[in-house]
Amino acid sequence: MKHDRSDVFSGALPDAPMAMPKQVLERRRSSLFLTLRAAFAAALPRF
Amino acid sequence: MSSAGPRAQIARAHLTRAVALGAAALLSLGGGWLYMRFIGNDGTSPLDVLRTTLFTLVGFWLVWGGVAGVLGILAPPMRAKQSTGRPRGMTAILMPVYNEDAAASFSRVAAMNRSIVDLGLADRFHFAILSDTNRDEVAAEEIVWFKQLLAEPMAEGRVFYRRRERNIGKKAGNIEDFISRSGGAYDYALILDADSLMDGATIAAMAKRMDDDPRLGLLQTVPEVIHAHSLFGRVMQFSAAYLSPYFARGTALMQGEEGPYWGHNAIVRVPAFAASCGLPVLSGKPPHGGHILSHDYVEAALLSRAGWKVEVDPYLGGSYEEGPENLIEYAKRDRRWCQGNLQHRRVLGAPELKIWSRFTFIQGIMAYAASPLWLALMAASILAAALPSKYWWRDNETGIWVLAVAVGVALLLPKFLILVRSSLGGRNKGFGGTIRAALSVMAEIVISTLLAPIMLCFQSKAVIEILLGLDGGWPATNRDEGRVSLATAFAASWWVTVAGAAVLAISTAFASDLVPWLLPVALPAIAAPLLIAATSYGSSNGRKRVLFTTTSETAPAPIIVEQQRIFLSWTQQGSALADPTIAGTATAHA
Repeated sequence: MKHDRSDVFSGALPDAPMAMPKQVLERRRSSLFLTLRAAFAAALPRF
Repeated sequence: MSSAGPRAQIARAHLTRAVALGAAALLSLGGGWLYMRFIGNDGTSPLDVLRTTLFTLVGFWLVWGGVAGVLGILAPPMRAKQSTGRPRGMTAILMPVYNEDAAASFSRVAAMNRSIVDLGLADRFHFAILSDTNRDEVAAEEIVWFKQLLAEPMAEGRVFYRRRERNIGKKAGNIEDFISRSGGAYDYALILDADSLMDGATIAAMAKRMDDDPRLGLLQTVPEVIHAHSLFGRVMQFSAAYLSPYFARGTALMQGEEGPYWGHNAIVRVPAFAASCGLPVLSGKPPHGGHILSHDYVEAALLSRAGWKVEVDPYLGGSYEEGPENLIEYAKRDRRWCQGNLQHRRVLGAPELKIWSRFTFIQGIMAYAASPLWLALMAASILAAALPSKYWWRDNETGIWVLAVAVGVALLLPKFLILVRSSLGGRNKGFGGTIRAALSVMAEIVISTLLAPIMLCFQSKAVIEILLGLDGGWPATNRDEGRVSLATAFAASWWVTVAGAAVLAISTAFASDLVPWLLPVALPAIAAPLLIAATSYGSSNGRKRVLFTTTSETAPAPIIVEQQRIFLSWTQQGSALADPTIAGTATAHA
């Protein structure tokens, strides 16, 4: 996040970072095409 | 709330859910069956099937709303869980603001701070005003009133203000930004809105509840609407104060460990919230993709998914908010909520969510989707009546009256039961006595019936816009008195008038027998600009208010009085903005 540098008060907040990992909410779309592509990519060597 | 063990509580919640869902399903299916019998006695056409399906679907959600109210009325009287003593954990009280009236918002922080200082709990609570304001003149005012706030008791080092230059992720992003920078310093975060006001004792009790129950991830209060002036605002205020607590009790009976979160006036456990509520940006563009607009429901679902308890406690008092003063402001807020709720269809299938969380999403979606479905049912009924040999109401006049009465009962029964229960329990004293409470309930029914077709049109427009991919953006909430001129009302609702007139004209031409049934919908729609303008005015000029009296007016809580006193003293003491030295500083920092 970008903060306004001229804001003198922002610096007063406690400096105590805490990670907030992004959650998975959308299922990966699967289709016959995507499955075949994944299988193809896994089975055959790529140059 | 209840003293039953956690397992018994969950079992009771599951049983209540099953009974409520079963009752709503049974009643709506029964209604659908009756409806089919009435309209299909001359043979069933595809149009009949469509109408019956629509009737059953909207009927279910109508009954479902009523069931929660009836459950709340039948619930045995309970008290908030006792949580006395000094909280151990550190709490950050967060007030996100976005182009709000800074003096009003910051005076609320001042009042809450005084309340906490008076309890001797200043060392356990910090305040952080998290500004997403992007209008320079409002940002300048925020700096001025923040300096005023720093002069409050023990504010130095405990009351903070910061402003984001770019409001990424809107309110949810604002909270996330605070947690990712400062969350490690706090055990709990009390999340407010700019118009929130909470009593220090309530805040302390909530923090203590978090101390006492290490599995509690979120505790939601049921805020009471205060400071309404207009007729529209006071009807909403009365409804929220008199009727809503019973609906909230019904919700609480069904919540189990997957209760609701309404985005403000709630406390969260910071490590749990940080670990489970980082919201991703949904694929695609708004309104369907992008940042999650109605983040609260999703955050509650994510906390439940991670195994944390999410609870609403309707018995916790001392929690207040303000509401829109006119129907246009209400519709603006509703447009935002509509987009947020419809966006939830994208997370309905999220992995490992609890079934009840998924049902809550569906409930939110249907709260808005029901409006266009009602309109579709009306259109299909006009079409059916216009077709030859479909004059069903002539043969089934009794039947259709039975259905009409059933719909009326589903809508009105909870309100009358609440009136009866309040009369028996002595609760009406705070609402001006039983006679005034009864008159207020009846007037509320009349006004909400008149405004319902207009709201139906606004909601249907919102749903159609969203389905067409039109983003409503993030308009700031206007919380002032909000009187609406007839010209403004007409500009916002002329199309509702046209729609109402068109319905009446078409039905008069092609299905005249249907006209009496459509008048209660068509006439208020035609009069929409008048109704919007008229309900935006109020009697705030000292005249005694007979109707819609609430306890916050007859016996306002000390925190409400204190906030008003601070606000008046701040704004009347010569307005700090007029001070050139302060104003100059503010401009320099903005």
